[in-house]
Amino acid sequence: MKTSILVYSTAALLLVTANLCAEESGTNSIHRSCCIPTEAPAKPLTDKSLYQLDSSWTNDDGKTIQLSSLRGRPQIVVMFFASCQLTCPLTVVQLKQLEAALPPKTRAKVGFTLVSFDSVHDTPAALKNYRTQHTLSPQTWTLLSGSPDNVLDLAAVLGVKFKRDAQGQFSHSNLITLLNSEGEIVRQFVGLNPDNQQLLTEIEKLIEH
Amino acid sequence: MLKNIQLIFLATISAWTTATRAVEIPPVNMVRIPAGVYRPFFRAANDPKEIPVKSFALDVLPVTTGDFLEFVRTHPQWQRSQVKHLFADDSYLKNWDGDVNPGTNAPLDTPVTFVSWFAARAYAESKDKRLPTVAEWEYAAQASSTRADGENDAAFKREVLQWYSTPAPEKLAAVGRGPINFYRVRDMHGLVWEWVLDFNTAMVTGDSRSDGGIDAQFFCGAGSQGAQNLDDFPAFMRYGFRSSLKADYCVHNLGFRCAKDL
Repeated sequence: MKTSILVYSTAALLLVTANLCAEESGTNSIHRSCCIPTEAPAKPLTDKSLYQLDSSWTNDDGKTIQLSSLRGRPQIVVMFFASCQLTCPLTVVQLKQLEAALPPKTRAKVGFTLVSFDSVHDTPAALKNYRTQHTLSPQTWTLLSGSPDNVLDLAAVLGVKFKRDAQGQFSHSNLITLLNSEGEIVRQFVGLNPDNQQLLTEIEKLIEH
Repeated sequence: MLKNIQLIFLATISAWTTATRAVEIPPVNMVRIPAGVYRPFFRAANDPKEIPVKSFALDVLPVTTGDFLEFVRTHPQWQRSQVKHLFADDSYLKNWDGDVNPGTNAPLDTPVTFVSWFAARAYAESKDKRLPTVAEWEYAAQASSTRADGENDAAFKREVLQWYSTPAPEKLAAVGRGPINFYRVRDMHGLVWEWVLDFNTAMVTGDSRSDGGIDAQFFCGAGSQGAQNLDDFPAFMRYGFRSSLKADYCVHNLGFRCAKDL
C-alpha cells in the first residue's frame, strides 16, 4: 500500500514537472533540454567581442558551430594549419606546456582553440587526426576549420597575416591571442617563444575562482 | 537542306555568342577587366612569378560619400554611433557631421574615407559585389591611359610616382576627375588608397616563420630583396601601406571600390 502511494505520488510529481516543462517550452520558442535550470538570458555581446562574427565553423567532429559557443571561458586562440611542419607544431607543444602548467582548477575554466587557415585540406577528419597526434584533450581544445571568407574575417579581427604559397603551405604570423570569457582580446603574444609565465598570469587574472 | 543546316548552325553560333556576351557584360558603372597575368611586386622563394587573374568587373570610380550615405541610411548598424568597435575604430566616418549627415568636410562627390575593411566589405556585400583582391587591383592599376602594361609607359610612371610622393590634401577632390585608364577605370592613382579583400596577405618576407620584426623588415631596404621590380616605388609603398593596416583602421586617405565576378 505504502509503495503504491509512493508510486502514485511520484507519477503525479512527474506529470506536474512534465506539464511545467511543456508550459515553459510553449511560452518560450527557444528549445532547451527539459527541466535543466537555465541561466538568465545571455547578455548582449560587447562592442569588441570577437563573437560578433556570425560565421559558421566546423569542428573535428564535423559539427557546425559559431564562435560564440566558446563564450563563457577565456580562450587561447591560435590560427594554424594541420600540415604545417614548422611553427604550428612548435606552438601547439608550447601551448600544451602552458596547459600542463595551469593549476587544475584553472585548466577546467579555459579553452584552447586552434583555427585552420587551410579550408581545403583541414577537413574534420584531418583535424581529428591532428587532435590524436598531439593528444589534445577534448575538454580543453577546440579545433576548427571554415570557409576562406570566414578565415579571412577571423584573421582580420585577430590581426593575423597569412598567405598561401604555390606549394599550398601557409606563411602566417605567429600570434597567440588571449580572449576573455566575452571574446574580447586581452593580450596577444607574438612569436615562437611566448613568455608562458606571463600568459599564465594573464589567464589567472581572467578566471574567477 | 544544306542551307537549312547552315542557317541552324549560324543561329546556334550567334545565340551562343550572345549568351556568352550577356554573362560578360559588366553591371552599370563597372567595367570588364579582361583576364591576364599579375606579377606580384614581392615574392618569396616559393611564390609564383605570375598570378593569373580571371576577367572580372571593377567599379569605374571609388565609392563616394554620397554612395556610402545611402548605404548607412539603409544599414543603420553601419552609422557612426551604431557601429561595433570590433569592426571599425574610433575614427570611423570621423569627418562626417553626424550619423546621416556628411556635412561640409565630406562633400557627397568625394571618395568616402575613414571606413574600415569590414565596413567596405559590408558595403560591397549590400551591392552584391565584393572588394577586389590585391592581384585584381594591382593588375587593373598598372594600366596607363594608353596601354595595359603601364610599367612600360614612362610618363605614366612619373605621374603616379609624383602622387605617391605628395601628402594627401586635407580636403579630398571629387571622384572622376583623374585620367581614365586603358580599361576605362578612373582614379586608381592620385586620389585615395583603396582597401583590397586580402590586404592581410601582403607580407614582405613571404615567410613569417622567422617573423618577429615584420615591420622593420618591411620598411628596411634589405627587406625588398624579393621585389620584382625595384624601381616600382609606388608598388612598394602600396605593399608597405597594406602591410601596416588592420581591418578596423579608418584612415583619412583610405577608401575603396568594389569588384564583381563575371
